[in-house]
Amino acid sequence: MSLTKEFTKGLWNEIPPFRLVLGICAALAVTTSAKNGIGMGLATTAVLVFSNLLISMLRKFIPRNVRIAAFIVVIASFVVLAELYMQAYFYPLYKALGIFVPLIVVNCIILGRAEAFASKNPVLPSLVDGLGIGIGYTISLFVLGGIREIIGHGTLFGMSVMWSSFQPFGIMLKPPGAFLCLGLVLALMNFISSKQKGH
Amino acid sequence: MVVVLTVICACSALVLAYANKDTKAPREYQLLKYVEAPSIKAVLTNYDNDPIKDRVVLKIGKDKKGRPLNKNIFLAKKGGAIVGLAYDAAGMGHEGPIDVMVGVDTKGTVTGISIMTNSETPGLGSRVAEPAFTKQFKGMTLSDNLTLSAKGGKIDAVSGATVSSKGVVKAVRKALEMFPKVKKEVG
Repeated sequence: MSLTKEFTKGLWNEIPPFRLVLGICAALAVTTSAKNGIGMGLATTAVLVFSNLLISMLRKFIPRNVRIAAFIVVIASFVVLAELYMQAYFYPLYKALGIFVPLIVVNCIILGRAEAFASKNPVLPSLVDGLGIGIGYTISLFVLGGIREIIGHGTLFGMSVMWSSFQPFGIMLKPPGAFLCLGLVLALMNFISSKQKGH
Repeated sequence: MVVVLTVICACSALVLAYANKDTKAPREYQLLKYVEAPSIKAVLTNYDNDPIKDRVVLKIGKDKKGRPLNKNIFLAKKGGAIVGLAYDAAGMGHEGPIDVMVGVDTKGTVTGISIMTNSETPGLGSRVAEPAFTKQFKGMTLSDNLTLSAKGGKIDAVSGATVSSKGVVKAVRKALEMFPKVKKEVG
């Protein structure tokens, strides 16, 4: 398996949360704007890359029986680090994401990659895997947040993008809007894939 | 098994303790900037510096356990000279302490007050935070009649919220009583 393949699989074939349907909680909750989506995606990427890196380095030392406990300690430490530094340097974003920053620790993508990939592969592929999946997740959250912000508020990154008589659909910013949006994007992706396969 | 887990946890604790210390100052600054800054900016006038950056910490005594009590004094400067100070004081309201940010100029005249935290009854006592009430304090000094109008003073209480209004007056008086000491410290 080539490194390029490890990287690009996170961008389409296994892109979370559309293909690898993990990390849904955060994906639904924070994507009320494109900016929040990207912020959350980047925070998750940072934790994912570093935890993959460290877990891959430690994979020969961690006994099988306590591997989940060890992974969680590693992941939790990186999440607290991310939280502290976000609080110190990106306070408004930290406030906007709220409880979902500490909740990165229970984001299944991270534990999933640690268990399924980093604990079985050398350091470099694990790093690339984390980066690919993380960037894929960031793109997904940006797409979800962008769609919801445009339809629900008529803006993108706070700038008005719709015509002046446009009436925003407030529901898109509410939790049901998150489900609607996720479902529609999933359907679209499945449609494109099935076309590609020629069914 | 136990050893590996212990070592991992210990390393993690070490790193986190370091990060906590490393980010402490910027985190405090951010908290001040986004939580207290709106109040501070509202009570100071005519300055050109960043009062959050130009703050001094004053020891104002000890708490019950003997630890020093610190108070942030925010300095407003114009052209390098101090033109005003802002610091908070609390007075007991109906439901709990009301924390008030008080801005004073160099002579001890109030330039503005802003209610930062209160747990007064919403729609009743909480109305002491509204500008209609707080603007009455502008221009007051300790030698003015800084009491409620019911007692012959100059401050009209929010109707139906005498206790909360009294709490705010108490907090402002407390701040002004502190002023000579604060001024001496910051020079």
